[in-house]
Amino acid sequence: MPFLKLNNVQMDILKETSNIGMGHAATALSQMIGHPVKLRVPHVTITKISQVPEYLGGAEKMMVGITLQVLGDARGSIMLLFPQESAHRLLCNLTGDQGKVLIMNEVTISALKEVGNILSSAYLSALGSMLHKTLIPSVPLLAYDMAGAVVDYVLIDLSKSSDLAMLVETDFIGESSSDLAIKGHFFLIPDPSTLDMFLDAAGGYQ
Amino acid sequence: MSEQVSIAESRIARAPAVLKAYGLGSCVAVALYDPETKLGGMGHMLLPDRPSSSPLGSESKYVDVGICQIVDQLVRAGAKRETLVAKIAGGANMFETSYQTLINSVGARNAKSARKTLGTLDIPIVGEEVGGNRGRTVEFDLATGKILVYCAHTENPISL
Repeated sequence: MPFLKLNNVQMDILKETSNIGMGHAATALSQMIGHPVKLRVPHVTITKISQVPEYLGGAEKMMVGITLQVLGDARGSIMLLFPQESAHRLLCNLTGDQGKVLIMNEVTISALKEVGNILSSAYLSALGSMLHKTLIPSVPLLAYDMAGAVVDYVLIDLSKSSDLAMLVETDFIGESSSDLAIKGHFFLIPDPSTLDMFLDAAGGYQ
Repeated sequence: MSEQVSIAESRIARAPAVLKAYGLGSCVAVALYDPETKLGGMGHMLLPDRPSSSPLGSESKYVDVGICQIVDQLVRAGAKRETLVAKIAGGANMFETSYQTLINSVGARNAKSARKTLGTLDIPIVGEEVGGNRGRTVEFDLATGKILVYCAHTENPISL
């Protein structure tokens, strides 16, 4: 289905399913880092592929991207993006490391991938049980580079079937006081055929 | 005066313009330049080739038809077809893994498609900065035909 034809009800369904999935994911992350993590209401954004990097705050902004494929009854990608400062704070919380800058090594990469894994698994299992579908995350992959370079990986997949990208985005915010907040974007990027299935299962079609 | 070439777009310009493509991952930037008229064009492409079954969407998304489109536009703008030279950058594999899936090789396939298309068009490739697992920002100066490639983890740009 062309993304353009989504009506308000269908957009709401996508938002709500994402909200529930992300709620579970945030709980999982809170337990992992020992601090509460807050959620921002998800946005469903439909935008031209060429505009996606700007949407993320600029193509050259340094980001840690963790991506997984969604396997099972539905297909799509998950992309989890942390600005480098947030990735650093997250690691400090996880490993107790007090380093001043973000250093990528085997341990930190593995820790960040595990965050991606836990968030995605919690999200997909909540989404799956709601839709009565089996959704399985693949092994996470990580890149630490410019935002544009990190996201074009998922855009390539999308661009095969469309000039538009649909992003189901949730921001999560750590301790909301101060600059110590951990900020991240969580994107669910369903394949166009999977989007039909989602809406169908959620009653978005009469 | 610099103009941005976003993902799935292409643009032609004349000196003294500077064309920029930010944050290339698996995407490739193909720059074409005519040193005589100082006309040049650059595309920021996502996919190696346009499948014959789906003529949908913009041409500048695909490496093969995208290159042809830039060449046509340059020639129409007054560039000499015979003196065109090309430089390519990008085509990285950002998510290095031990298992290779199809999508992982898309950067390599983009670069390969660019070489093949330019070969068919008989346009020489005079500079390349492709592959690896790093993101790149490309700055194409039409006054000189030089390209600077900036990478996130290195200090100095690479000049092509």
